[in-house]
Amino acid sequence: MTERIWDKFLTERDKQVFAKGGWAANAGGGKKPALLIIDVNYAFCGEQSKPILEAVEEWRTSCGEEAWEALPHIRTLIDKCHEKGIPVIYTTGTIRDDGWDKGSWAWKSSRSDEDTSDGAPPARTSNRDGNDIMDEIAPSPQDIVIRKLKPSAFYATPLVSFLNDLGADSLIVTGTTTSGCVRASVLDAFSNNYRTVIVEEGCFDRSQASHAINLCDMHAKYADVVQMDEAMEYIEGIDETYNLPTG
Amino acid sequence: MASKAEFENHCWADIMKPEDLETYAPYARETGIGDNPALLVIDLYNLVYKGGRKYPHELEKDFPNSCGIYADDAIAPTQQLIAGCRAAGVPIFYITTQFNPHRVASTRRTNIKMVAEDCEIHDAFAPHPEDTVFRKERPSAFFGTPLIAHLNERRIDSLIVCGESTSGCVRASVLEAHMYGKHVSVVEECCFDRCEITHKVNLFDMHHKYADVMHLDEVLSSVSLMKAA
Repeated sequence: MTERIWDKFLTERDKQVFAKGGWAANAGGGKKPALLIIDVNYAFCGEQSKPILEAVEEWRTSCGEEAWEALPHIRTLIDKCHEKGIPVIYTTGTIRDDGWDKGSWAWKSSRSDEDTSDGAPPARTSNRDGNDIMDEIAPSPQDIVIRKLKPSAFYATPLVSFLNDLGADSLIVTGTTTSGCVRASVLDAFSNNYRTVIVEEGCFDRSQASHAINLCDMHAKYADVVQMDEAMEYIEGIDETYNLPTG
Repeated sequence: MASKAEFENHCWADIMKPEDLETYAPYARETGIGDNPALLVIDLYNLVYKGGRKYPHELEKDFPNSCGIYADDAIAPTQQLIAGCRAAGVPIFYITTQFNPHRVASTRRTNIKMVAEDCEIHDAFAPHPEDTVFRKERPSAFFGTPLIAHLNERRIDSLIVCGESTSGCVRASVLEAHMYGKHVSVVEECCFDRCEITHKVNLFDMHHKYADVMHLDEVLSSVSLMKAA
């Protein structure tokens, strides 16, 4: 196997444990997947590509240049799914103007006051809503946007219901952050018995180590982490009819 | 399958006022089962059969929570339903209550003491090894159980529902299945409650809002056709 993004973070013993324990087998994707794009919005990408330490001055949750590197890959996946009639589902956050519904999000960040519209830090000059999905991958009329309050795309949302309505049996996952909402959603997909393919180049995080190790964990236990060429080949092979929105 | 003309041909016909039926006329539609259904058998545990063929109020003192004659009436039709589904290869899921002296009760009833045996599925419906049995502590068969994960994995798009009580765990489970985007068929003769009018009105509500309430013979002929296909 070619070197994976997480290999350089693992000890020799870790590698042996995974191999000996039989982890990271190829599960295979589902027959009728939907593409899930998690939280690829301005709060996580910023308004232009900048080194992350600069980017976080403006948007505290920004993932910097890695976010902008992922965007064209996500665009390619969306276009392919549209071409094949595969459902495209986006998630993004939602927040009251007064921030009351931040709930637990406020507990671990000293800058969570910046999340409401009137809490922008001095470095942010636009009035862009951080929960807006990036223009580069803007949803089309037949796509589905789910607003969520918590990390998992499944938690307190109609996602399972929508997948059933669509006739989808599995997911292709991209988005951010790998260690946060992507992992939470992939875990819930696993718990709901949905096969999941994660596209490595379409996921990003603000921590390099977290990105790599979370991909490693998910690949070992819950999903298949694949690269773009393999993902595109998989999508190309899907020939299914879904109950898509009319748009 | 039942035609649109038969939509109100159900047990509630004798209690619903004509003006209410008029209000609900736009809901009339053809009813049926889904493409790849599973049978969900809800709470057919020993407690609800205790005391035999008597009305629940006559049993209340000695066998609190028994559904008496209503439970007994449903035994034979439910056995037919289970046998028909089994013969057609429809997966069967049983849900029963979790016995635990410290359990979270599924209703607000007080002064009820249960023993473990009360929560076991009645012998008349003993699950087979290939069936799936879940335990729950709350009204809905989905709440706190992996039921939806099993349905997803087996690509089950719909449920055929039977059991008790119509107004309690059946309704809660039917509602949640509907919210998950599953088509639901409720078998009239195989559901029961401890109060007849509650049974009827809850079937009426579910039929118009969330599910297709169907007669046993319709469901049996639909599942046998499925097998033929």
